Formats: sequence, structure tokens, C-alpha cells
Amino acid sequence: MDINVTVKSNLQIRAFYLFFIIAGVQIGVGIIGAPRFVFLEAERDSWLAILIGFLFICIVVGAMFMILQQYENADYYGIHIDLFGNWLGKLMGTILILFLAGSFLSILMTYIQVIQIFLYHGLPNWIITSLILILALYTVLGGIRVVVGVTFVFFIITISLLVVLYDPLLRLNMYNYLPMFQTPLPDLLKGAKATAYTFSGFEILMFIYPFIKDKQKAKLPVYLGLTFTTIIFILITMISIGYFSALGLKNIDWALLILVKSASFTFLERLDYIVVITWIMVIIPNLVLLMWAIAYGIKRLYNFQQRKTHYIFAGIILIVVNFFHFDYQITKLTDTIARISFWVVYIYPLLLLPIVLIKKKRKSQGGDNAS
Amino acid sequence: MWRRKKTEKTNQSETNIFPLKVDALEKFFKEKFNYHDDLKFTKYTVNKKKVAVFYIDYLIEGNKLGQIIEPLVDLNPEIDLTNKNLLNELPYSSGTSTNTIEDIHKKLIIGFVFIYIEMEKAVLAYPFSMKETRSVEKAETESLVLGSKIAFSESILINMNVIRWQINSTDLVFEKFTVGTQAPREVRIVYMKSIANEDDVNTMRQRIQELDVDQIEGTIVLKQYLEDSQMNLFPQFDETELPDRLAYNVTRGKIGVLVDGSPTSFTAPATLFSFLESTEDLYMRWQAGSFLRILRFLAMIFSILVTPTYVAAATYQYAIIPSQLLISIGQSRAAVPFPPIFEALLLEFLIELLREAGARLPTKVGQTMGIVGGIVIGQAAVEAGLTSNILIIVVAMSALSSFTTPSYLFGTTIRLIRFPLIILAGLLGLAGIVFGLCWLIIHVLRLTSLGRPYLVPIYPLRLADFNKVFFRTPFSFVSKRAKSYRPKDLLRFNKKDAKQKRDIDE
Repeated sequence: MDINVTVKSNLQIRAFYLFFIIAGVQIGVGIIGAPRFVFLEAERDSWLAILIGFLFICIVVGAMFMILQQYENADYYGIHIDLFGNWLGKLMGTILILFLAGSFLSILMTYIQVIQIFLYHGLPNWIITSLILILALYTVLGGIRVVVGVTFVFFIITISLLVVLYDPLLRLNMYNYLPMFQTPLPDLLKGAKATAYTFSGFEILMFIYPFIKDKQKAKLPVYLGLTFTTIIFILITMISIGYFSALGLKNIDWALLILVKSASFTFLERLDYIVVITWIMVIIPNLVLLMWAIAYGIKRLYNFQQRKTHYIFAGIILIVVNFFHFDYQITKLTDTIARISFWVVYIYPLLLLPIVLIKKKRKSQGGDNAS
Repeated sequence: MWRRKKTEKTNQSETNIFPLKVDALEKFFKEKFNYHDDLKFTKYTVNKKKVAVFYIDYLIEGNKLGQIIEPLVDLNPEIDLTNKNLLNELPYSSGTSTNTIEDIHKKLIIGFVFIYIEMEKAVLAYPFSMKETRSVEKAETESLVLGSKIAFSESILINMNVIRWQINSTDLVFEKFTVGTQAPREVRIVYMKSIANEDDVNTMRQRIQELDVDQIEGTIVLKQYLEDSQMNLFPQFDETELPDRLAYNVTRGKIGVLVDGSPTSFTAPATLFSFLESTEDLYMRWQAGSFLRILRFLAMIFSILVTPTYVAAATYQYAIIPSQLLISIGQSRAAVPFPPIFEALLLEFLIELLREAGARLPTKVGQTMGIVGGIVIGQAAVEAGLTSNILIIVVAMSALSSFTTPSYLFGTTIRLIRFPLIILAGLLGLAGIVFGLCWLIIHVLRLTSLGRPYLVPIYPLRLADFNKVFFRTPFSFVSKRAKSYRPKDLLRFNKKDAKQKRDIDE
């Protein structure tokens, strides 16, 4: 297997789409329920906790960029092979793929749960799953160009949905924010850790990077994407804190969906229905990017056709979703994935960076000795 | 279809029967030609030599024929009658000589007149073909309020003439191809040499050359053969019967295709939004032009969504309807015994029937038909308790909006899309609609037209082209051609000169 990826020029994408890829993959199911998780830890100063999380992510992404820049055109899979050799590298790659598949399942299950609670109470898991999988399969079979296109177009469509938040924004209770800066630092850090699941997703950068056409321009859109997600996250959290009472927010599972409920027009009511159902457009980019990374990884590691991987993966998912019947199962799944993602997404690149740098240094020294 | 490599033409054995006697030639035609009944075979004796003139009389122009028969018969007796001398004597420069039967065969059926001098080695052929065509008329399917009303006719010569006068430039190229193995037809691709993208022209050329079919029925059929994918709903090339629309597209760097005997042309590459463009937008002032374009765009979305939303809301998610409105919908639906999906399909079916009947019937009857159908049947359906009042409004509005698209093919696609969406809405409610919409968006994202993305300038994003696609700006802002089609020459005029402002009182 090659460490570097050779990408045809017609498959390359402009760097500026990274903004939409990063923001699109980060804003997913997590953000619907995130305000509560952060609030449970950091109370009124949740925005500080989110900012701390954001700063940490910036460091992680910086580390990712440093790792990637040591190579010509590599992704996670290639880097693993380079660092750990063929066997261990493939094992690490496979673990990553399993993690991605786990994230896929947790996103899907959370969304199914939301749909079943808000809209269709008795609808079986497999019907919703097959609807979503049809869309995801149709997208990924079109290749990376369509995957990025779907991410971009759906992001534009769905982000306009947040306009509905104008109504709760007008009904905020300012006293809910006071007194500020009371939360002790350990709680803030715990709050920051609670953002991990919501903020995760940007690890897709390590997979899609070889496909970027103008790599020297890649940094700005990525950081802007992270900033955008943070702003949206802080906005939603702060509106939730101002809108709900402290006691209420601690018991509300999906704060965002309750928030959009409050807006109504003379021709349209219950916007939460529309938001819940349109949230599928937020989920699809998440799912297709993960699916693409999984299939592409399997192709890189085991030289297996992407098309077949997609069909097999979709089949497995369609079977697996039927085993989740109860709320606590999904919560457990999400919690597990959240815990793993903290290590895989946030800590792992920081551990990898020194290894890459040391290896590079040794190589250059070895090169010097030889000459 | 075009991907299939053209099979090598089997080299037909060329038979040369010349020289021979005139009577023998006549006999030969009688025995060997499939259409000897049509063949007029006349024999003259000029300067003591026998001469045969043969042609198919309904394919040639009679008065031109007289103009060569007369000098032939009255030929100066001193001149030796040979092919060479005769070519010199006759007052037409277009004569050629040919000596194979296959060639004669081909030329006879496109209106050549042949002169054979006994015992000569070749036959003289004169192209006097006459093609009956309709003269250029007013556009019917794409009607316009402003702008030139001339439409293409069935003759490719007239069409090329019209386009040449529209774009009077030395840059304009009409490249000639012949398509069809059994009944060949002339096909021309039209483009501006200095503007059109070279790759696109090559792709188009290649697709036409590699097309291996027995015959094509016209432009729209050729269009379907050449399209990137035949397995989808959307037309991928933009068809038009208006020379000025073709001229507009060609001067912006697209490639036009004309087919002989077909009163339409098409341009490629197309995008989803080019079907919503009309040249009329250009003739309006930019504010009105923008308004109309946005209106059409909204009409498309509205037309796709409104009936399915009604079905979904009335069946499952009635909570999204405010209570005031819900009361009136409930009242009007109270008498209807069917579920909303059935009600909506019934009414959509009725509207489609009206449209189809109106299109098939003669114009005058068609209009009456529309009024009778729309008002009388609609009213009766409500009173009979088959449908609700509100649904009639909804369906009529959606039908109306689907007719605003300038392209008839695209309008049909939009009307077609509604039916699966209505069924999805009836089965799954809002989730069905959103599922259908997502599917449509992904579908459109996957499409290409002549290898170029179909959803440009949204994806890939080209903000600079928005003012050529979604709205219009004053001409001083449109100094460049749309980058989406990658023209060779992006600049239309110098932006600086256009933006120059004079000071007050100067």
C-alpha cells in the first residue's frame, strides 16, 4: 500500500469547501442535545466551557496539520503504515474504521430516536434507516465530488433553518445568565469535555486532506469552520440557558428542538416538526462523509472495491439497528462513542505528532549520515 | 449509446458499368433500381449522339431543369459532344461527373439531375434538389412577449441562414456531420471558435461521430442519444425553437446543435437553472428581469412542493397548520370521503388530463376545453363531495406554476416529479417529502451535462456567475461571460470603460 495517495485532478476539491465539510460534519445530532450536557457541568458559564473546548480543538487541528505536512499527500491510513509498519499500521487503520462505523451508528440511532419521539412513534427502526441509507448510498456511489456537493448544499439549506431561533432569542430572561464567572475551573474543564461528542467529526480532515487541490490554502477554511460551529454552539447554548430555567434545562433532552417550537407564523405552526424532519439534511452529510471515509479506508488497506463496501456496510447497518429498542441502549452507545471519540479524536493526534516528528528527524539525520 | 464505438463501414464494392448504350442504361435502371417508377428517363439526340437525362421529378426544381435541357438540345452543332465540353457549355457551375452506380444511387434520391452521353465513361450530375419546407413562422411552443418572434423551420439551410444573420461573425462555425446509417441526416454543431470551450466542442464532436444508429427522428431524439445519462428525469441539454435564444447561448460559449428536418435546436452544456432562463429576462430592465427569474425559480419549488405538503399536513402532521386555517380546511374536507392522497391524485390526474387534451385538440377547441374543464368540472367535483375547495386552489396553483418554465421539456419533468412526491407524502408525511427532496437534490448533484456539473454555479460554487443565473444586474456589471461554462475568452467588454463616471456638470 502506498503511503501517499494519488488523486486524479478531476476528483480534487477546492480548499474552501473544507469550511462546509468541517462545519457540516461537526453540526449534527450532537448539537440538538448538547446544551444540557454542557450546562450540567458548567452551569451559566457554559460558553466559557465551549470556548475552552474550541481552543483545545484548535490545538488538535494544528497538530493534525503538522502531521499532514510532514507527508506529501497522505491520510491517516498511510501515516499509520509509515509509522507502525504494515501489520500494526493496518490494525490501527482497522480500529479507526471501526470507530468511524461506531460514530455512524450512534448518529443514526440518535436521530432515529429523535424522529420516533417527536414525529412517528411506532415507526420501526428499519424503515427510517432504509430511507436514510437509500439517500446515503445514492450519494456515496457518486464519489467524493457528490459527497462534498451534498455536504455543501445541505449545509446551506439547513443553516437557514436556524433563523427560527429569532423567537426564543426575543424571550430571553437575562437574569438566567447572572452571576457570571462563578463556575470553578474543574467544572469548566468537565463542561469542555462534555462538548467532545458534539465537536467531534473534524477528524475527517485526516481522511479527506489528500483530495484538497490547493493545500496551502487549507488552514483558513478549516479554522473558520471550527469557529463557525463554535459560534452556533455557543448561540444555541446561551439561548437555551436564557430561555429555560436552570432546573428545566437540566431535564430537557433536546433543547434545540424545544426552542424552535416557540416560533409560529400565521400560516405555519409547530416548526419543530419541520426542523426535526429537515434535520435529516444535517445528518446525511455526517453519514456520507463517514461512509466515504470507511469505504475509502477499506480500499486503501485491503484493496477492496468501494462500491461493494458501501453495499455490505449498508446491509450490516440495516440489520444492526433492529437490536436497539430502548432509550438506555442508545444512550449507552452514544456515551461509549463519546468516550472513545475523546481519546481517538482529541488525544490521539497529539500523541501521534511527536512520533511523526521524531521519525522525520531520524530520517533526515540518517540521510545526512549517508551523504 | 454514443459510447459504443462505431463499427467500421464495410467497404461496398463499387460497380462501374460505364461505358454503355443509353438503352442499356435504361434497362439497367428498370431492373435494378427499387424506385424505377419514380425515375424520369428521357432520351435526346444531340449532334448525332444519344443523350439520356434522368432524375426523380418530385425531388428537383422543374424550372432549373429547363435551363439545362434547352442549351443541351440547342447545342452548337460544331461542338463535339463530350462530358468535358458539355460541362463548359451548360450555364451551371455545380456540375460534377461520377461513374459509380452507388454514387448515382445516393445522388438521385437527394435531387440530382444526371446527363449521360452515350458511350462516355462517366455521368454528369447537377444538384437541382428542391426541398419543400415551411417558411419561417412565429414561435409557438416558446411564446415571448418581447424580442424576436422568429422560430426555426424544418430546413437546416433556412435555420443556418437565420443564425448567420443573428450572429454575423467570422468566428461562427457550422460543423457538418452525418448521422444515421440507414437514413442519414445532416447534423450541424454551431459554436463560436474564439469563445466555446475546446474540450466541450471535442466531446460533442466525438459523441456525434461515435453515434451508431440506423436513423434519428429529429433534434430531440438526437439530444436523448447524446445526453450523459438516459436513466434520469432531467433533460441535460437545453432545447429551443428560438434562433435568438440559440444565438444568445452560442455567443456565451455554449454549443448548439441543428438537425436537418427538425424545427428545434439544442444547446449544451446546460445547467438546472438554464432551463429557467428566458431571453426575455434580457430584454426587460434588470429589476424586472431579476424579478421574473426569481419568480420562475420559486414557481418551480412551489409547484413541486405544494400538493405533497397539503397531503402530508392533512394526513399526518396537521399540527403544523394554524388552527384558523385548520378549521377551514377541516370544513371543506368534511364532505370528502377519501384520504387526502387519493383526493390529491384524483385532482392532479384531472389537471393532467385537461393539459393533455388541450395540447392535442385544435387551438380553439382547446381553449374552451380548458375553461370547461377548469371551472365546470372543478366546481362540480367540490359540490359532489369528491374533493375539497382548498385542494382545488392548491392543485391549480401548482399546475400554473409548472407552466411558467420557459422550457416545455423541463416543465414536464417538474409535473412528473410531483406524483412520486405526493405518494411519498401520503405514505410517510413530511418525512416522505423531505426524503424525496433530498433524493432530488442528490440526483441533480450527480448529474452532468456534457461532462460539466449540472448544478453549477451552486455546486461547484461560482459566486461571480450568480448575476447571470439567478438574477440580473445592470450591464456594466456583466462584463464577463459565465465562468461556469469555461469559455476560452471570459471577457465581453472592458469593465473599466463601462464603469467610468463623469463628474457632475461636466
